[in-house]
Amino acid sequence: MKKEKIDRRDFIKISSLASGSLVIGFMVPGLRSLALPAFECEFFQPSAYLKIDNKGKVTVYIAKQESGQGVDTALPMIVAEEMDVNFRDVTVEIAPYGTMKEGEHDTGGSQSVMQMYTPLRNAGAVAKAMLIVAAANEWKVDINSCAADNGEVVNTINMKRIKYGELICQAALLPIPKEVTLKNPGDFKIIGKSEKRSGLKDILTGKSKYGLDIKVDGMLYAVAARCPVLDGTLIKVDDTAARRVPGVIKIVRYPGTKAPMHVRAGVAVIATNTWAAIKAKKLLNITWDEGKKNNESTEALFKTFEAKAKTKPLVEIFKKGDVTKAVGKKEISAAYAEPFLAHATIEPMNFVASVKGDQLELWGGLQLPDWAVNTIASESKIKKENIKLNLTLMGGAFGRRLHFDFALEAVKIAQQIDKPVKLIWERTDDIQHAMYRPANYHFLKANTDDIGNLVSWQHHVLGTPVAFMTEGPDSKNFDEVSGVDAGFCYDIPNINNGYTPVDMNINRGWLRAVDICANTFPVECFIDEIAAALKKDPLAFRLSMLENRLDFKTGDKPGSSMQSPARIAGVLKMAADKIGYADKRKPNHFIGLATHSFIFAKAFAAHAIEIEMLKPRKFAIKRVVAAIDCGLVINPDGLMNQMQGGFAFGLTQALKGEITIANSRVLEDGFFGYELLRYDEMPAIEVFMVDSKEEPGGVGEVGVSTVAPALCNALAAAGHRPRTLPVRNEGYSWV
Amino acid sequence: MPSFSLNVNNKIHTVEAEADMPLLWVLRDLLDLTGTKYGCGVASCGACTVMMDGFAIYSCQRKVGTCVNKKIITIEGLSEDGSHPVQKAWLQAGVPQCGYCQPGQMMTTAAMLEKNKNPSDEIIRSTMSSNLCRCGTYQRIKEAIHIAIEEINK
Repeated sequence: MKKEKIDRRDFIKISSLASGSLVIGFMVPGLRSLALPAFECEFFQPSAYLKIDNKGKVTVYIAKQESGQGVDTALPMIVAEEMDVNFRDVTVEIAPYGTMKEGEHDTGGSQSVMQMYTPLRNAGAVAKAMLIVAAANEWKVDINSCAADNGEVVNTINMKRIKYGELICQAALLPIPKEVTLKNPGDFKIIGKSEKRSGLKDILTGKSKYGLDIKVDGMLYAVAARCPVLDGTLIKVDDTAARRVPGVIKIVRYPGTKAPMHVRAGVAVIATNTWAAIKAKKLLNITWDEGKKNNESTEALFKTFEAKAKTKPLVEIFKKGDVTKAVGKKEISAAYAEPFLAHATIEPMNFVASVKGDQLELWGGLQLPDWAVNTIASESKIKKENIKLNLTLMGGAFGRRLHFDFALEAVKIAQQIDKPVKLIWERTDDIQHAMYRPANYHFLKANTDDIGNLVSWQHHVLGTPVAFMTEGPDSKNFDEVSGVDAGFCYDIPNINNGYTPVDMNINRGWLRAVDICANTFPVECFIDEIAAALKKDPLAFRLSMLENRLDFKTGDKPGSSMQSPARIAGVLKMAADKIGYADKRKPNHFIGLATHSFIFAKAFAAHAIEIEMLKPRKFAIKRVVAAIDCGLVINPDGLMNQMQGGFAFGLTQALKGEITIANSRVLEDGFFGYELLRYDEMPAIEVFMVDSKEEPGGVGEVGVSTVAPALCNALAAAGHRPRTLPVRNEGYSWV
Repeated sequence: MPSFSLNVNNKIHTVEAEADMPLLWVLRDLLDLTGTKYGCGVASCGACTVMMDGFAIYSCQRKVGTCVNKKIITIEGLSEDGSHPVQKAWLQAGVPQCGYCQPGQMMTTAAMLEKNKNPSDEIIRSTMSSNLCRCGTYQRIKEAIHIAIEEINK
């Protein structure tokens, strides 16, 4: 009999044919002829998520894209748990693009564990159930006499054991069960125990391949000069000097695009190495038509915000009671402002594209590959089915790679040359042509009654919406206020929260913790301001409006999130307790608190920060405590790393993160101007977890938003409240 | 095009490159040693750090013409199997998130410890401030450095 290797897609097909039922959780791409070939039992693949080879080696395919958040560890842990295999024996690979359902590769919003927890448990349980049936058939015993244990099936009558690897031929021919029993979480052995990151050794020996490290046969290198103003056009380019640089192969132009990505018109130098391309780019003499919107600035934007802040919000976000009834009592008001921010991943944007005839092959890291491929297909006129995308590791993402402008550019360049091209963004490109976190402004007003109760709260959020860029200026999806305002957690009798958009000719995108971060800062600071005005303790004041309140749904739309004041209170109390909030403080020491929910990832976190004031406007951070409640924790070590890193991310924004714009150009051009937190500025952080049996939430973003307000509340307690970020703009310095 | 003979990870490589090409691009584009990372090209992030004659240098700032007769060690040469005390310490502390900056962080640390087996906290702070980590793994880097110091002083 002819032995034939069969690929994993065929294996899936055979399995589903044998069962006569659909395999759960994925699509079977391209069903072909139904003839069942004879085959060598090399591996058994009961779903797109995993395979077991004849040595018992388990490979888990991860559709969620790794950019440092640890999905390549937490997700296979879930599979290994239900399969009853040793996690250390599991190999993790990126699921090839196209092997999963549309949308399943999408990675963002801290959703990976939440979305995949049940499907991956099912996938592991299905594989285990089939291996158990195969063993029972082999032994001719009832399946109830068989149990799985550490990569083997055990006959519980005579204690004989068979390794999974020896069962795969029989298991592959079995019907796939429609229902499986999942483990009782109380029996978990892997979930909840810390594991080291997958692929750690490759990272530590320099073997890991990020997008920028990809090299394919015959590949050339490209660097591009882009129009300094968004939506401008190219008039002419003199590339005489650039073409003389040794190594330069070709210089190409490409037009810009409109929504969703707003690729800038550009001139790309294609060369045999990156350096030649960088040198030649400097020698290009380009004349741009900047268009009419070439004189905007952040200075003018914040004046516009200020002018509009006291008018009625364009849209209402959350309403309770009637704020007009509270007029005439004691009024407290304040305005807060936060700048544009860039993601500034240490791996700059890059993509490899190769066009051969009507075929396009791509290599690189993307958080939303379906959106990218669909848009690239329509922009490039290359059929979607002719596009092959190879996903890679990402050297940081933080939302930057939700966007795919760089991939679109690489395709436009590759369409003009018969060799594969790697487009590399220089750091200047990364800082000046980014997808900026929207600048935002907040006007808040509260009223208290005659006996010192808070009776009304109004929050007018003003921002430069992302949706105006991705969907166009007529978009109605501009109210970027999820959670903090739409699911306003403090129980105040009369509330009115609204939003007003302001457009500007600068690209915007989603940054880690998104609008929840932007809105937690003013809300958590203003609550403190009210407490101070009422001479109440800020912790007790918050708890009086959070504790013993029921969970509530934040909107009428399907999929609206649940807000949980009790869990928000829970993390706040934990942070305050762990930092010793009730203890007597040393002279010149002050503690600031802030709490919130990262609502759409079912995660709650608070920070408590203790500072020492060294002299007016100069401080040292002495202690940082974070408390988190994200339900069941898959990998505690991964959670700790995210909370530690989230703190550094939040502290960067609090202290010095700022993008400034003049003449519609970004003034910062690298890490000297757009500064990130450095080693010597990182205080120690202690992280505490709430022991919870709730369904798992997501931890990638929940550690960011309460850092700035906790710090600012400490600074306010010391004498002066900063209401604009970063605090260095208010004259603060730190050691 | 000029030709240069370079000692990288104890092997002699001959490369043809313009004399002003930074060592970074020689390593990455010509020698396929992509463990050394590009981050900024202007000595602001440290992702490209390698060791040259025992000192940590920014490979983006060093022209290939000045690298002849120097002993260059990249992350691939620190140890292939991860057995260098710094790599072992990074593993034990579970430092990386995305991992992109970590080769540079480890090369800076390895060079620091080569010169001084017991650096003070002040020296560690000033040395490590040359390397950015956007994921914010500084707390674990600190922990790993102390593990490595303990290991090499055993």
